[in-house]
Amino acid sequence: MISKQEIIEQLKTIVKPYVQNQESFDALTEETDFINDLKINSANLVDVILDIEEKYTIIIDNESMEKMINVKAAMEIVAIKLAEK
Amino acid sequence: MIGNDIVDLALAKKESNWQRNRFLDKIFTENEQLLIANATNPEMMVWNLWTRKEAAYKIYNRETGIRGYIPWQLDCFYENENLGTVSCNGLTYHTQTQISNESIYTIAVAKKQDFNQIRKIDLETKISKINGIPFVKDISSLIVSPVSITHHGRFWEGIMLVD
Repeated sequence: MISKQEIIEQLKTIVKPYVQNQESFDALTEETDFINDLKINSANLVDVILDIEEKYTIIIDNESMEKMINVKAAMEIVAIKLAEK
Repeated sequence: MIGNDIVDLALAKKESNWQRNRFLDKIFTENEQLLIANATNPEMMVWNLWTRKEAAYKIYNRETGIRGYIPWQLDCFYENENLGTVSCNGLTYHTQTQISNESIYTIAVAKKQDFNQIRKIDLETKISKINGIPFVKDISSLIVSPVSITHHGRFWEGIMLVD
């Protein structure tokens, strides 16, 4: 069973190439917003989602994708999809 | 309400690989994917439709207060390369798109006649926010007008809706 801390560290590695606000990235918490805080380009949010799918071999359906606006939501979705496997 | 969105085509080429496996599936409806597949220049069609969705989402978000990553729910009706509508959960917005070699820029409005009420603003314009929604306030009349700004790479565009 993967821990919350591990997921957050792995998510940090995934989002890193798309981040445009380094300060916010360095201070990343569960509340960090992908677009408002990390300034990830909204077209690149698709890449984040695809990278997450590939990393965990999960499928993020449309309903889950809709919620993918911050670290917390991404962590929850990864945990749920991993549990479903 | 108004929304706008610009894509710097050179930067988009660097930042995004739209040919990546499943990239299009996550963003575009089946119809839109057909438009892209059949386009003379698929890449231009990708960003043309994308700016429409983004511009329309700005209105949708401001009108409904709903925030989410919902590109596939913003359904583009493509009249031609410059005109169309975007529908999202029963709400429809009108779009005008300007294409150049360097950029694609879309303006979306809630009511078609609002296209005649749009004025450009510049970087110096003082923008205030009311409930997270950007406005400009006229110093003499104190009238507030909704604004939308967008920037990507080399480009910045700002517009306001006047009565």
